[in-house]
Amino acid sequence: MSEDFPRWPGIAGTIVCVLGLGVAGYLTFEHYTSSSSLACSDNGAINCLKVTTSSYSSVAGVPVAVLGLVFFVVMLALQVPAMWQRSERWVRVARLVWATAGVGTVVYLLYAELFAIDAICLWCTSVHVLTVVLFGTTVYASLSYPPPEVAVS
Amino acid sequence: MSASSNKPSQRGRGSGPAAKKSAATKKSGAASKRYAERQARKKEAARDARRSRNQRYGLLVIALVVAIIGVLVIVKVAGSGGGSSQASSVSPPAGTPIPQATLTKVASVPLSTLKSASTSGVLTSPQSVNNPSLNAGGKPELLYIGAEYCPYCGAQRWPLYIALSKFGTFSPQPGRIHSAVDDGNVPTFTFYGTNYSSPYLSFVPVEVYTNHVSGNGYVPLQTPTAAQARLWQSVNQGGFPFIDFGGKQVLGAAQYSFQSLSNLSFDAVASQVGNNSTAIGADIDASAAALIKTICGSMSHGQPAAVCSS
Repeated sequence: MSEDFPRWPGIAGTIVCVLGLGVAGYLTFEHYTSSSSLACSDNGAINCLKVTTSSYSSVAGVPVAVLGLVFFVVMLALQVPAMWQRSERWVRVARLVWATAGVGTVVYLLYAELFAIDAICLWCTSVHVLTVVLFGTTVYASLSYPPPEVAVS
Repeated sequence: MSASSNKPSQRGRGSGPAAKKSAATKKSGAASKRYAERQARKKEAARDARRSRNQRYGLLVIALVVAIIGVLVIVKVAGSGGGSSQASSVSPPAGTPIPQATLTKVASVPLSTLKSASTSGVLTSPQSVNNPSLNAGGKPELLYIGAEYCPYCGAQRWPLYIALSKFGTFSPQPGRIHSAVDDGNVPTFTFYGTNYSSPYLSFVPVEVYTNHVSGNGYVPLQTPTAAQARLWQSVNQGGFPFIDFGGKQVLGAAQYSFQSLSNLSFDAVASQVGNNSTAIGADIDASAAALIKTICGSMSHGQPAAVCSS
């Protein structure tokens, strides 16, 4: 039923989500332990600890690392190839909305790092890059290819 | 009109009604097939156009996001590239939050560990004075006057935080700062923005300046009251740090040298607290033990017993 729909968005999305889950999981683990073992520079502009312990590291009491983990878990569920092959409108809308929320959060956190905290966390940056890549592939694939059922008609 | 238009067809074929009907059906079938094909091609073309338009929109949105991120980075680089590390040389006045695990570790160093630390690095201890009692909220007042840029204050806050944690609790907890980068860059706590509650004493911290350079000095943060300023001037000539233990004892300098903490990370110092085998750990622990002894003797009347009797 879905031969016309390319497989690359699902494969690429799944790989990026798995990578994101790994990094977000590591940051979450560090958040709930001492944070001092975070493998990252602790001085100068690159300072993970300064970022992960700043007032921007949680939103309404929820650690940003946990939000990142939740983001990638949900995104993985929406990005697996089987979900890309589904033709329901809500799947595409949910995937686009979630990807947009993710990239919006990235812009906010990047702004906070650069202009409020004045330090960059390399682990966080890798999560940001993965989120932007996910946003790119999701938007491009969603707008470029019609849903499977339309492709068949 | 309709009758005349049918005439040529009737004349041309000259056959029976069934054949006429069949020919008409064939003709209309072919026409509708051509029509359907045309419609399908139109539809396909429209779909291709729509897809290509959506593709362009998608690329535009992606480019927009990348451009926003790029602008943020460029503005930052352009803003800080001109000159200096000034932007990264300051910390928020209330400090950067410290992980609870780190705070707990620092605050809960056992009394026996503090007491057993070598005092070889301790340079000074609180001195007795004969001043009027200093009270606040019906309890003896521990007045601390310091500044966030001050490296001596930076060193002194470590044992002071440990000592105070034995008699009460901070809420919110102190944040993490450092003294001025060109003045020791000592990682430390700030008492600005904290609240401390204890059944034994009142802690009144005054951080007079931030670590943000302003002209030839630093940006002011808190102003001592007139009474605090008088006391501070008369006992310590306005020097940082100044600690008054209820009017009974005073400390007018850091208990140990800040030099060894210079340019270290907060966690590097925190990890040594409670470890008397390092010079930093021993200096902080021994200083905290001296402060606890002073508070027990001058302010809390030997309470709590679990702290003061040990």
